[in-house]
Amino acid sequence: MSKTEAGARKGASSRPQKSGPRGRLARSNDRAYFLMAIPALLVYALFYLYPTLTNLRYAFSEWDGLQEAKFIGFKNFTRSLTNDDTFYKVLGNNIEFTGLVVIFQTALSLLFAIFLLKNTRASVALRTLYFFPTILSSVSVAMVWQFLYEPNLGPLNVFLNSIGLDFLALNWLGSETITLRAVAFTQVWFHTGQMMVVYIAGLQQIPQELYEAAEVDGATRWQQFKSVTWPMALPTTAVVMAYTTIQSFRAFDLIYAMTQGGPNNSSSILVTLIYLTAFNEYRFGYAATQSIYLIVFILVLTAIQRRLLRTRY
Amino acid sequence: MKKEMGAKAFKLMIAGLFAISATIVPVTASFAAGEALGAKCTTEGESTGTKSTSLVCKENKSGRLVWAKVKLSDSNLAPIRPLRAPRGSIEFWHWRAEDKAIFDKIIADFQDLNPGVKVTQVISNSTDYTNTALNKVRSNPKAAVVTTFRGSQFNQAATAGLLKDLSNEQFAKRNVIKSMMGAGQYQGKQLGIPYQSLFNNPVYNIEIFKKEGWKLPKKFSDWISYCKTAKAAGYVPMAWMGAFRPQALQIINSSLMNTASTDAQLNAQISAIDTGKDPITIKWVKDMAGKYADLRDAGCFPDNPKGVTEAAGNTLFATGKSPILPTGSFSMGGIVKLNEKMDGNMGLTGFNFTDDVNARYTGITNNTFILGINSKAGRTEQRIARAFISYLVNGEVATAYANGTKQHVTVLDVEYTDSNLRNTASIMSERLVLAPRFTFLNQGVRDILEDALIAIVGGETVDKALEEGAKLIKQKLG
Amino acid sequence: MIYKVGRAFGLTLFSVLILIPVLVVVLGSFKGDLELMTKPLALPERWSFDNYRNLLEGGQIANNFKNSTIVTLFSVLLTLFISSLASFGIARIIHVSGKVLLLLFTMGLAIPAATSIIGIYQLFVTLNLTNTLHGLVIINVASTLPISIFILSAFFRQIPTEIYESAAMDGAKPFRLYRSVALPLSRPSMGAVAIFLFVITWNDLLYPLLLITRSDLKTLPLALIDYRGEYAINFSMIFTAVMVASIPMVVMYLAMQKSFVSGLTAGAVKG
Repeated sequence: MSKTEAGARKGASSRPQKSGPRGRLARSNDRAYFLMAIPALLVYALFYLYPTLTNLRYAFSEWDGLQEAKFIGFKNFTRSLTNDDTFYKVLGNNIEFTGLVVIFQTALSLLFAIFLLKNTRASVALRTLYFFPTILSSVSVAMVWQFLYEPNLGPLNVFLNSIGLDFLALNWLGSETITLRAVAFTQVWFHTGQMMVVYIAGLQQIPQELYEAAEVDGATRWQQFKSVTWPMALPTTAVVMAYTTIQSFRAFDLIYAMTQGGPNNSSSILVTLIYLTAFNEYRFGYAATQSIYLIVFILVLTAIQRRLLRTRY
Repeated sequence: MKKEMGAKAFKLMIAGLFAISATIVPVTASFAAGEALGAKCTTEGESTGTKSTSLVCKENKSGRLVWAKVKLSDSNLAPIRPLRAPRGSIEFWHWRAEDKAIFDKIIADFQDLNPGVKVTQVISNSTDYTNTALNKVRSNPKAAVVTTFRGSQFNQAATAGLLKDLSNEQFAKRNVIKSMMGAGQYQGKQLGIPYQSLFNNPVYNIEIFKKEGWKLPKKFSDWISYCKTAKAAGYVPMAWMGAFRPQALQIINSSLMNTASTDAQLNAQISAIDTGKDPITIKWVKDMAGKYADLRDAGCFPDNPKGVTEAAGNTLFATGKSPILPTGSFSMGGIVKLNEKMDGNMGLTGFNFTDDVNARYTGITNNTFILGINSKAGRTEQRIARAFISYLVNGEVATAYANGTKQHVTVLDVEYTDSNLRNTASIMSERLVLAPRFTFLNQGVRDILEDALIAIVGGETVDKALEEGAKLIKQKLG
Repeated sequence: MIYKVGRAFGLTLFSVLILIPVLVVVLGSFKGDLELMTKPLALPERWSFDNYRNLLEGGQIANNFKNSTIVTLFSVLLTLFISSLASFGIARIIHVSGKVLLLLFTMGLAIPAATSIIGIYQLFVTLNLTNTLHGLVIINVASTLPISIFILSAFFRQIPTEIYESAAMDGAKPFRLYRSVALPLSRPSMGAVAIFLFVITWNDLLYPLLLITRSDLKTLPLALIDYRGEYAINFSMIFTAVMVASIPMVVMYLAMQKSFVSGLTAGAVKG
């Protein structure tokens, strides 16, 4: 018998009682439900939260990871806010990266979901193909695209040059202006299929009658989209955007393997900066400070998104 | 080899040695001239090899240049035999996946000699190794043999007290070449044995240079004209890999080597940048950066230089599209793997950034792959590590390593039979300085300076790149 | 009309965009490095199995495979069990503490890995869990609980309360509700989460890199990065490794295609 079952036995009284939101049964049931969450909470708190929090306390110190940490109060915080151009550059990069990825990944996944909505053989086959990149590991994807993007020998530019489009054969991963976007493109390539599948499920739940009614009223495809599809799919959009946002903030593996954040930090986002500050420069305290900013940033961003899309999920 | 013997016996031995060595020691230009102990020689500093029995050309008491017994180690005694290891098992931490097979063989032999002993290699790639190895070995009592990179990582390990003092070890004094041990010293103590001897100088394609009738550039203006000529002939003059900073800035060594008139000054001025005392907009850095702009304008670098990956750079050189690979001797193994035809077709040449052929230094050498004993390892583990390192610095073992991995080593009595190693032995007669790149101890500062230089090659103006970099450094250290 | 043309164009373009990299990798695994770099899209001059041979002999591929399988299987099963339990509890709690719990778990999604790895490493060293497969399972479970609970709790909340209430009337206690009511109903979304977790865990590089240094304990993706040598990247070997590492995923993906597409979205959408 599991711990939770015993707990549930203990928590709930043995006689069936009146159910209802504020009834005694409900409250003691709450206790039982809470107990069911205990195992997960324990594992999570002990092996994940606790190490993270112990690391975050170094945000108030200077620490090289090997010797004693030196307490310096809020110095790290003031420094990153007032005297660190790289931090702002990377923050800007992150905003641009996330912005591009969220917009394009959401739009494209919605578009392809609409294209492949019907469950025909062809659609299902294409859906399978589009989902394929997601199952690859991010390092694999990074290596492949690093190869494709090589400016002189890589297939992309070789192809562009051969058909006379050499003005398009840019320095994809070697230019301070383009690299971030090239990496964003790879990220979108990587995960659009995954979000497309989410959208398909959401779209397939929209009742056909709504579309039929709109058609009777003479609405064009675009108008149907605006009045039926988009509003009805809002909950799905909320999920897609939230997940894409979080995913883009965590794109460490991909970026680190492709460019290490370069050239000159132009493709570095917060997670790569944190990693390099900690492990390349042996400045774990400062990295912890940056981590705190990152966590706050993500929480704020997702809260804003929820408010904007006005849905609960 | 006995050292103390009568003069007559000595002369006989030398004559015999000469006869033997003429057939097996690497063929360098000087060898035909008949070296014998006490005989006249022409080029001061030239040596016949890195054996404890080798000869070196130096001034004798009367001021004449004669062949003398080379004293490459820190002792007059012969190298010691490997120490016995107590029973147990340890881990050997390093980053060279390409050396795994050779080390497997060496370890197998070591284990045969020392029954009950087990050594396991723990390898991660160089980026991860730099980033996390020290942290991990600190809490791992089995990680007894810890290798470090010269420069920032070794320094970190030393200041954190992670390395056991080897200064009194016999093998540290008798088995290795003294001049190459500096990289493993910290505050006067020998905390590690640098194992590899590298030459961070451009590698050139012997055939192409012969075919085109080019001479190796000896001063900066030669390099400029080389680039222009090679580009006009359809080559990419230098296979420079701008997308990968560690490899791209191998040439910073060459560009730094003659920027000061004494070694002390060179170290001081680098340290000043490292600690923030001087900004990188200071004149000597500006002049050096200007040379990168000159090379860029002469067309030395590939198109889209900042995007050229390591693999692409190596391919350019291996396929003959680029006659020069501006990295170092350590790249040779990989090039041969890419294209077997390059085996035996590579040489090394110094990269003189000044127009003075008599500049202080004409080439770079580096000693890295610093073998150390983890002071946080268990007592028995440390003793096994000690024995293992003594085994690695044994001449025969090091010979197998050197020839198997196509790298030079810092150990005495090594026989270089690999043709690439022999072709590049001539670099040893250049005036070499220990790679200044690694006297930068602050990785963050060094990265910023190197990024600025990469930006210059990519087209940025010298002033702008250095100013921006200076600002970032100030913030980093502030 | 515009729509039809646009659709055909868009679909073709994206399909090409996916097929080309796949082709490069597949063909590349049969080529040598030089040929790969100079003629990436061409058919191999000679279909060479050298890379595969090197990988399967020299490396410990079979071992890596075994390790990945063991770790992934145990991690996914454990996570599924305790996260479904927790998600059900969280979904059913009326008191605000339910929302707090959910927030606590979701926060884990916001924490960047680089922040936690030092602390995790030190904790695991103290507990002697480094270089062990069970240590890897523990951290995998701990770190995938957030996303698992995020999705599953949404699903459980969707199940109409009437179904619970009628069962409760029959005297079912919370755990019984979980076992006999919620679990059977949640099969599709559990399946979806299972596949999700499988992919994440199988491909994970971060924790194996942090905790495993013994080569006989390495997982497949970890072994893959060993082909970045110090001074050269062996792309053709890397592509071969990518092929080998992806095969289980591809096989599983094709086999479970239906549940991937349908189940993946069951809970995530109606939140």
